[in-house]
This record gives sequence, C-alpha cells and structure tokens, in this order.
Amino acid sequence: MAMRRAGVSAIRALCSSPNSTRPVHSTAGSKKIVGVFYKANEYAELNPNFVGTVERGLGIRDWLESQGHRYIVTDDKEGPDCELEKHLSDLHVLITTPFHPAYVTAERIKKAKNLQLLLTAGIGSDHIDLKAAAEAGLTVAEVTGSNVVSVAEDELMRILILVRNFLPGYHQVINGEWNVAGIAHRAYDLEGKTVGTVGAGRIGRLLLQRLKPFNCHLLYHDRIKIDPQLENETGAKFEEDLDAMLPKCDIIVLNMPLTEKTRGMLDKERISKLKKGVLIVNNARGALVDTQAVADACASRHIGGYSGDVWFPQPAPKDHPWRYMPNQAMTPHISGTTIDAQLRYAAGTKDMLDRYFKGEEFPLQNYIVKEGVLAPQYR
Amino acid sequence: MAMKRAGVSAMRALCSSANFARHAHSTSGSKKIVGVFYKANEYAELNPNFVGCVEKGLGIRDWLESQGHQYVVTDDKEGPDCELEKHIPDLHVLITTPFHPAYVTAERIKKAKNLQLLLTAGIGSDHIDLKAAAEAGLTVAEVTGSNVVSVAEDELMRILILVRNFLPGYHQVISGDWNVAGIAYRAYDLEGKTVGTVGAGRIGKLLLQRLKPFNCNLLYHDRLKMDPELEKQTGAKFEEDLDVMLQKCDIVVVNTPLTEKTRGMFDKERISKMKKGVLIVNNARGAIMDTQAVADACSSGHIGGYSGDVWFPQPAPKDHPWRYMPNQAMTPHISGTTIDAQLRYAAGTKDMLDSYFKGEEFPLQNYIVREGELAPQYR
Repeated sequence: MAMRRAGVSAIRALCSSPNSTRPVHSTAGSKKIVGVFYKANEYAELNPNFVGTVERGLGIRDWLESQGHRYIVTDDKEGPDCELEKHLSDLHVLITTPFHPAYVTAERIKKAKNLQLLLTAGIGSDHIDLKAAAEAGLTVAEVTGSNVVSVAEDELMRILILVRNFLPGYHQVINGEWNVAGIAHRAYDLEGKTVGTVGAGRIGRLLLQRLKPFNCHLLYHDRIKIDPQLENETGAKFEEDLDAMLPKCDIIVLNMPLTEKTRGMLDKERISKLKKGVLIVNNARGALVDTQAVADACASRHIGGYSGDVWFPQPAPKDHPWRYMPNQAMTPHISGTTIDAQLRYAAGTKDMLDRYFKGEEFPLQNYIVKEGVLAPQYR
Repeated sequence: MAMKRAGVSAMRALCSSANFARHAHSTSGSKKIVGVFYKANEYAELNPNFVGCVEKGLGIRDWLESQGHQYVVTDDKEGPDCELEKHIPDLHVLITTPFHPAYVTAERIKKAKNLQLLLTAGIGSDHIDLKAAAEAGLTVAEVTGSNVVSVAEDELMRILILVRNFLPGYHQVISGDWNVAGIAYRAYDLEGKTVGTVGAGRIGKLLLQRLKPFNCNLLYHDRLKMDPELEKQTGAKFEEDLDVMLQKCDIVVVNTPLTEKTRGMFDKERISKMKKGVLIVNNARGAIMDTQAVADACSSGHIGGYSGDVWFPQPAPKDHPWRYMPNQAMTPHISGTTIDAQLRYAAGTKDMLDSYFKGEEFPLQNYIVREGELAPQYR
C-alpha cells in the first residue's frame, strides 16, 4: 500500500523533474539486490555469526535466491570501473553499510534506472545523497536502533581510555618500559568531571544511562529536551545553547547525524573555545569535525585527547592526519559492527526486504527518505 | 591512646620474640619519616597536583619539617646498597606505595630498629611481610577507600577494551591499515554477557554498580554475601562456589587482595576450566595469577584477552612475558594513582601521620596490622 503510494508520488516527482525517466515501480517479480559490505578474507570462517561481510552477505543469500531474486555482493565500490558501477543500471535494491560505505551520489542515482530502495545495514545514511534520492522518488531506510547500544558502549570505553590515559601505558608495556609518572601526570578518574553530549537521541540517551553510576556532571544539548523522567534518572542537564555548553566540558561526545546543518560543525573556531585539554569522543561521523583543525589542536594539546571510529572518507587513506597526530585513540569504523550488532542489522535488513517484496510498510522509525520527504533529523 | 596500647602490646610481643630488641615506642619527639615513591623526572612540573611522586613527596614536606621531623624521599628501593637500605636502621615511619612498591621483608623489618609505623599511600599492603610486621609489634595501615573508584573505573574500561576488541583497531590505525573485518570478527557488545567478579569488597561493589546499566548477567563470589539492597540494586547474583562461577563467565574480574590464600590461585588448572575465549581483567595483584599459565593461555587463545595494571614483580622487567603475549591490554601499575587518587591518598597519609604524632587512632578501616593482629582479609 505504502509502496504504491510511493509509486504514485514517484510518478508525480518524475513529471516535475525532467532529468530522469524511471519505469513504474512494482514490487512484484524477481528483483536484483546488490549489497556492498566489507571483505573478511581470512577472517570469514573464524566466526559463524560474522554475517556483515561480503562472504556472508548478511546471511540472506539462500533466502533471497529461493524466492527467485538475484543477489550480488561486493566490496568494490570506488571509481567508474568498480563492481558496483557495473550493476547500477539494473539493480532494484542497493544495500549499503556505514562501515564500508558505498557513496550513492546523484550521478549514481541517475544511472540506477531500476532502483527503488536504498537500505542501510546499520545506522546513518549520510553516504547517500538524500536530496537526490528524495527527488528521484526513492525510499531510503536504515535499521534504526540496531547498533545504538553498541555505539554507546564504545563511546564510554573511549571516554575512559582518554581520561585515564590508557594508551601511553600500553605503549610503555610493548616497548619494554616502566614509567608510572609518564602516565600518571595526566591520568584522571572520570568521577566528578563534566561530560557533555552533543545530541541526545537514541545513542546519546543510552550513553547518559551508562554514565550515571560514574557520578559525573552530565550535560546534553539537543533540539528538544529528553523525557523528564530520563533527565531525572540520569541527572543530565539540558543545555539549550551549544556554545554555552561546550566550554563547560572536560569531555565532549558527539552524537548527532551528519546532515547539511551539522557538517563541519566542530571547526577551528569552535575548538578554540573549548577548555584547554578537552577530551573529545566522536563515533558519529568524521565529517562533523574539521579534519585539520582537530589534528592541529591535538598537536598543540588544546585537545588533550581525541578518540573515535569515524573518518572522512572511509576507508581512511594511509596518510590521514588523524593516524599520526598525538593524543589520539582512533580505530577504523567498528563500533556499530560488533557481531551482536551485525546479527541485529542483518535481521532488520532482511525484515525490510521481506516487507518490500510484500508491498508492506517498514517500521516507521526506519525511514530516512519516504515519498519525497526526508526524516526530521536530516532536514 | 591506641598508640600507647600498641606500645604496651609491642612490649609484650617483644618479650615473647627474642630475636630483636626495639626501643620502647614513643610518639613524641622528632621522627624520621622515609617515603618510597616513583620518580617523575620531566613530568614532575607538568601538573601541580602530581603529588604522588618522589619530587613532590605527597606534598607533605613543609608540613613535616615545620614540625621538626625529618623527611627522606627516594625511588631507590632494590638491593642491599639502595637508598632505602641506608635509612632503614633509624627510620620511625616508612611510607610505601603499590605503584613502586618497597618490598618490606622480614630482614628489613629486623634491621629497622626504630620502625613503628608502615603506611601504604594507596591500597594493598601485600608488599609488606605482614606476619613479620605483626610479630615485631608494628602498625601497618593504608588509605582504605582512597582509590577504589579509580580502580573500578579502570576495570570497566578494560572489560570494554577486551570485549569490543579495541587494540587491534588501534594498531591498524597507527600502521596505516584499514581492515574492519580483522577487528569485527571477534568484537562483541558487553550487553548480555556474563561477568563474574572474584571478590566483592569495596572495589568489586563499585564495579558492579558501574556495570549495571550495561545489562549483563552479573555474578559475584566472595566469602560473604553483600547487602541484599545492593544485590537488588545491581542485579548481581551470589556464587558460593568459585569454580562453579568461573565456568559460567564470559568475563572475569579479579577483585581480591593478595594473601597467602589467594597467591597463585589462578593457576594452569583453574584457567583450563574457564570458558574458551574468556576475558580476564586483573587490577588486583599480579601474583594472584600464575604468570606463565596466563601467557600460555593467551598464546593458545584459551584466554581471549587479558588486561590489567598489576604484575609480579613491579616494576615489571623488560622481558616479562605478559608484555609480548598476544591478546593482552596491559599497562604499568597506574589505575590507583590517577591525579584524583593521589590527592586522596596523600591527604589520607597526612591525616594518619598527624594522628600518629598525636597518639590518636586511625580510621578503623585503615588498619592492616594492629597490635599483632592482621586485618580479616589477610588472615
């Protein structure tokens, strides 16, 4: 039902945008599904639950093929001659994942004449040109909630790694050294520190709950206040003005999606107004911050520590400055792709494919683009 | 008052132990206080609150000297010709710290004819031969509670580092790599896992409180059950039989003191009965584990990850096997010597010195050896 409505709006959209001609959408019949994931190589066989890879393709191959659909999986996503490009012209559904993101540009959308549905196996669909997708009448959906706990846990881990000055200690160990003072001179307890989360959506709230027993001063900034009961439960205080909140913080955690409004929000000027020695955790998106400004501030020690699993672009090139700046605790993009998270987003993706084939609606919170309209956080 | 009683029992103890003659204890008059701490070198001036090092000597020099006492501070503690040995014959009070422990052996106690009081700046006094101290009529005390929060935070950090497989990701970053699969194949959320704490004293309880919002299956083993209110609050279940508990655990945290009973308790046999791939966090004492058994199990993968800040001996030698075994996330002994903890144990040590000079009692929970008796956990 919703799909037919999508089809009708798509037709309307088509008539008003002469740039593309697309066949009338139909959910019946054999579909061509393409999935872009990361390759596991020798790690593929080490864990039967390792479903988020090219080799396992979310574990849905048999299910798709038994229904007569075609399923192509690749990790080759960059450049005009890549494997993904070869399949653009006739695929109906493209499954992507933030951990190895296929950048779905306006150009690619134009070429994808049969494309109806973009599914993100995970959360965060900023690797897709959402405006272009909306104009083309596409549906974009992600597995909302699938890895929110994963990311919140990971953020708390990074807060502790930075404030307790873990990595210099680890480096001493593997270098055969022992110098307690070299770590202790700037190692602190988390207790009593001021922690601010920029964004208190699903992940931000889960983080606040996990922070509660540490007895910090918890602050949060968001467009809207959280439930009074949760405020009470976590002790977190609302900060209406982001720039008033930031200078109060010993530790800042980014918890917003990457949108036109948030891109580059942590720039040189904003960083300079933060407390000297501030610790920053960013598992949200690399492009929320100015890459060079962060590198410079870590080098000058204005940022006392920066930790995250997100970069721009991804994969991060060998010479990305964040690899080599001091005071960093970076990893590749992994927080939302633990085995537990993979099982959840694989199941959620399969569920949405099933509904798509049946012409049924998705869980409402999963829609990012629906009938030409962007989800609120992306407007 | 207590000190005079200590003096009387010491006399009785003296008469019964003919091995040495000690002056009648007196708390009046100028005292010689010796402190053994770690050296800060170039880090000493980087932080005015960095009081736990040789250079700052807990920040009590002026206070001691203004009262006419002598204060000698050193990091040189090993061997018959070290700085500490030179002062043993006439010192009245010896302050030690677990992060750079002066091993106070029966021999050293014998030589220390004026010694009355052994203070641990921190928690854990196993570096002192407590039986010998008791027989010599000495008082041993530590700053109970001074860094319990610090250690509990650190343990939670390490649980997350191991279960979420952080370090392989960090290694990729600094090596110029990007291979999500190489991390994700064995990265898990903490949520839903079974975590057992061996020991639920002050630190164990604080850890359970911090674990609560992660929604794990929490187990604890101790000589005594904890308060039913706290059991309810944390959701932790009592396990009377240690070995039964260990087999259920995905993650094991060691939270017992090092005593005659706990030394080497995690031996090859006990480790072999734990789940394959178990994760172990030990911020308690290195000697609770069999060093080689842990190294072997990490190499075989039976231990999926081992993280801690304690070793035997300390400092750990350059060739200590835990530095080079796979699946480790070790640091030098730092968890209880954050700046925040240093300020607390410095204040607590000063407070006990003040009580000692005045012949007053210490906070009762601080006593480890008093009037010939060991504290319960060490018996």
